[in-house]
Amino acid sequence: MIERELDVTNRLGLHARASARLVQVLSGFRCNATLSAKGREVNAKSIMGVMLLAAGPGTAVLLRVDGEDEAAAAAAVAELFERKFDEGS
Amino acid sequence: MRLPVSGHGASRGSALGRARVRLPHVLEIGEQHIEDVEAELDRLHAAIHVVRGEMRALRQRLHGALAQDIGEFLDLHALLLDDPELLQGLDTLIRNERYSADYALRLQRDRIAGIFTGMDDAYLRSRIDDIDQVIGRIHAALHRREADAGGVAGEILVADNIAPTELLQLQAQGVMAVVTAGGSALSHSAILARSLHLPLVVGAAQALSKINDGDVLVVDGGTGLVVREPDADDLRAHRARTREYARERKQLNRLRREPSRTLDGIDIKLWANAESREDVAEAHALGAAGVGLYRTEFLFLNSDVLPDEEAQFRAYRDLVLGMTGRTVTIRTLDVGADKADRTGLTLADEPNPALGVRGVRLSLLRERLFETQLRAMVRASGYGPVRVLVPMVCCREEMVAVRALLARVIDDVRREGHEVAEAIPLGAMIEVPAAALALPGFIDLTDFLSIGTNDLVQYLLAVDRNNEQLGELYTPLHPAVLQLLQSVIALAGKRGKPVAVCGEMAADPLFVPVLLALGLLEFSMHPGTLLEVRRAIRGCDLASLRARCKALLRARDRSEIQRWLAALVPQRANSSAQ
Repeated sequence: MIERELDVTNRLGLHARASARLVQVLSGFRCNATLSAKGREVNAKSIMGVMLLAAGPGTAVLLRVDGEDEAAAAAAVAELFERKFDEGS
Repeated sequence: MRLPVSGHGASRGSALGRARVRLPHVLEIGEQHIEDVEAELDRLHAAIHVVRGEMRALRQRLHGALAQDIGEFLDLHALLLDDPELLQGLDTLIRNERYSADYALRLQRDRIAGIFTGMDDAYLRSRIDDIDQVIGRIHAALHRREADAGGVAGEILVADNIAPTELLQLQAQGVMAVVTAGGSALSHSAILARSLHLPLVVGAAQALSKINDGDVLVVDGGTGLVVREPDADDLRAHRARTREYARERKQLNRLRREPSRTLDGIDIKLWANAESREDVAEAHALGAAGVGLYRTEFLFLNSDVLPDEEAQFRAYRDLVLGMTGRTVTIRTLDVGADKADRTGLTLADEPNPALGVRGVRLSLLRERLFETQLRAMVRASGYGPVRVLVPMVCCREEMVAVRALLARVIDDVRREGHEVAEAIPLGAMIEVPAAALALPGFIDLTDFLSIGTNDLVQYLLAVDRNNEQLGELYTPLHPAVLQLLQSVIALAGKRGKPVAVCGEMAADPLFVPVLLALGLLEFSMHPGTLLEVRRAIRGCDLASLRARCKALLRARDRSEIQRWLAALVPQRANSSAQ
């Protein structure tokens, strides 16, 4: 299992579109994935779960991935957060 | 017993059929238990599978503007449909509690709604509507499989409201007409229904309480009258209307080869807004002057990767070839944060997408992307006349930048040995009020203009046309809109720049006399309404309309504008008798 702390730095946080990006990226991996913030843990492969986290900008979230391709999944998600979910240019 | 239910006509046409009532998607299902858990799970999974297929099929049928407006919802809905939380929750309810799939859906919906409605963020809170739609679709599919695989063919759908996506699907399934309790004649759904020639009545407030499944209905999409259990007179009237509409279509079809000429002999230029191959073929067959608006968004939104120069070039070249020498106006990319795509182009969640990074603003921020698009257009110009149209222009600086880039691209492409047209006219969309007002300051940088009335009206009146509560406020018949249109058209005329209107306003025969009076000589519209506009033009006397322009501009409100229009009726009635 890998844990990564990630900062939500895109402008609107994990809104529908950023959540959709995250779920789409994770859907390519077989490992289990969860996100936790504000004392709540959700399935990071669930669009509803991620939206319900309502993680606004500036929130720190904890990504937990567990499975054979966990390292690649963690790297892909971290990169997505760094790219601010490809918002704007 | 005969019972009239009145609404507003939103899409003309007459229909007779049995009612299929769809209650609002909040599921009212009581507790139901089942015996065979595995069979129930199979039933649920089969329904979900059906919905997945339906959504995929819908996505593939979308192209052009529709793909933009509707695609983003479908994408979100597809993700929701595959959501492990939603699906596992349903399985657990059926397996552990032995609930029916229907009841499990309702419980799951209520549980999710409970969490969502407690959220602080209004935007996320309103996503419950999307979840409701997905659950509603699964629920509908559960029942479609049981009784009526035939669907709604030959029936009249009665619902609280209708989404554009559903209209497409319903038409494909053979529905005769749609009646909604809510909605407005100006909504996307209404516009779509008109282009599909599907009769639609909106705002029939009593429809859901008075009409039951299986009732026989007569629907008149022109007047908005719906009659339950019609009597002999109603049936006669329906037959007469059906004949009338058929005759109208036949008469319209006779106009296919006629010129778009006013009674006093002035030829008006009718362009087609076209995206698909079918639209282009139709535009050609109807004798359109050319393509007045080719939206390029679908190239970007229907795919997971940004289209490269070759892919764009092929699309533009085929368009040019399809119009066999008639001019083709290609609009550069017009997406904003309100349009979801899968390429990472505009994933910015902007608080106010209508006022955000969109149109030429996005293109100028992403110069590489813009250059690629312009190169493809310039290369296509080697195969026939091409004009380049830039959306969302609001100031001189933007036109300076676009002009410089286009000039450089033309040089580059020529130098590489490609055939390039001698001239590639560059035009600005006038849809931001500031551009209309400041036009004298940058009209020298344009070769032609295209007025996008949909956005111009929205920005000028500060009214979102999709906000149904404001339905009445969104109208081109506002003195401010008419004055601004007149000033743009007059200035363009004085400077010798062709100007067209390419919004919904140009597609509505009702507005033809208004636009002609304001001095407009070019219209651009979907091929589906071209003949109706042509017929309206052939009934107008341009000189006498121009003489009444001052009176039109003196109108102080919508009712005075409508009185001005009503006063024209004798002129138009005379003409149709000829």
